[in-house]
Amino acid sequence: MSPYLAGWRLGLLRTLRPPGDLSVRIGFFAVILLVMSALWGTAIDANGGQLEGYTRSSLLWYVFAAQTAVLGVRPRSVEEIGDEIGGGAIAIQMLRPVSVVGLRMAIDLGEACARMAVAFVAGAALTWLFAGPPPSLSALAMAVPAIALGASANIASSHAFGGVAFWLLDAKSTWFLYQKLVFIPGGMLIPLDLLPRPLEVVCAVLPFATMAYVPGKIASGDANPLLLLWQVGWLAALLALAAGVFAAGERRLQVMGG
Amino acid sequence: MTVVTSTLRASLADAFANRGSFWFQVAVMVVNDGTWIVFWVLFFHQVGTLRGWGTQDVIVLFTILLTSAGAALGLLANSRRIGHLAAAGELDETLVLPVGPLSHILTSRIDPANMGDLMFGPVLFAVAGNPTPERAAVFVLGSVAGSVVLVGFLVACGALTLFVGGRGEQADLGFNAILIFASYPLDLFGGATKVLLFTAVPAAFVTGLPAQLVRSFNPAHAALLVAMAAFFAGLGWATFQLGLRHYSSGSIWTR
Repeated sequence: MSPYLAGWRLGLLRTLRPPGDLSVRIGFFAVILLVMSALWGTAIDANGGQLEGYTRSSLLWYVFAAQTAVLGVRPRSVEEIGDEIGGGAIAIQMLRPVSVVGLRMAIDLGEACARMAVAFVAGAALTWLFAGPPPSLSALAMAVPAIALGASANIASSHAFGGVAFWLLDAKSTWFLYQKLVFIPGGMLIPLDLLPRPLEVVCAVLPFATMAYVPGKIASGDANPLLLLWQVGWLAALLALAAGVFAAGERRLQVMGG
Repeated sequence: MTVVTSTLRASLADAFANRGSFWFQVAVMVVNDGTWIVFWVLFFHQVGTLRGWGTQDVIVLFTILLTSAGAALGLLANSRRIGHLAAAGELDETLVLPVGPLSHILTSRIDPANMGDLMFGPVLFAVAGNPTPERAAVFVLGSVAGSVVLVGFLVACGALTLFVGGRGEQADLGFNAILIFASYPLDLFGGATKVLLFTAVPAAFVTGLPAQLVRSFNPAHAALLVAMAAFFAGLGWATFQLGLRHYSSGSIWTR
């Protein structure tokens, strides 16, 4: 078995086996969907049943997919990468005859797949309950690869940001900044179409939109295959960036002691 | 000086030991809070008012949340860690001391990041909360009562681990639920959810009711808030004390 596939499998199994953490995440997800349902439902009602083309149902299916894609990724991933680099633990990982960043991303992707699968099933059931059926079943089906691509782009991007610790020896500040970039420019809290036009244009050219906005947009009924292509393009760029940051960082890493 | 104030002073000194790190974490949390303000401004810019709530009303609610959560999670940082401490057998070091265990645990750790919330909340209220002497007094009352409710609820959730086991997941779920619900205007919710917010997940008493009191003071509602703060303080204390009877030592010092 390829080491990367083994890493993916390890991440998947270690997330599924202790059910406590997973059940907390699902409970957390349910609360978010309940709150967002109340917030956006009230907002849509107050605006005559539509907001920039979104109906109550399409907006809540947007929230479901955007949140599933983001919550699948370990929230403090950037900070943990920074801690491992700053603390020198990364040096042990460099002894293995595999790419450090490749194996790390494979494990993270395994974990994310487990979380997203459970969140997708539970979240879709809850959203159906709160908002009724999705605007389009084919769009919902297309949201599955979009969620997976969004989470993959998020993982690659987290590693690129976390890799800053090779130079700063800490990634706490990067983590906070990164999280906020996914929240608003990424479209997790509010669809980009609802932002003021100049801000929408800026956010749309950043990679963060592929992590939450695109899965949400597709699940809201816009089954445009070009959106998936947009994600694939940014994913390739972010993977290259993460690999480049780690390659450069590993060359300059100095660890004292054993 | 009482044991509680001595412990709190020692915890503060510990947190301040690395001043650069302390202020950095405070600054990062302020930036984090600023993101939420940006979100609300963008949201209301798009949707107008919601059931009588506008940007300024939500900012007042947010200042109460920052202040009460800052006190509960910054000054009394262990309030959300009771379940984890119990699961890991880490209550031993407190139980051997001749002090009240709950007060000692609560005051023995300070979280610098959440201290940023505690500092930023009142400043934001002064700048954007249209402060008058009356509104400021109600803001203080609401924030204090909200933090007592929050601490009592978190301690009760954490103490559940002592009864049912696990790794502290009950506290994590309670923590996430109450903070999310407390971040949004109470009037958004109706039916069973609203009942939930006044009972099992008392977010209504952390921000919703205090924010309504700041907008329009009502003595009966203020009395209810104070009574509920006393109730949740008692609930947290009683659940913890009863749960201690089920606690098994982690034998951490002999490992």
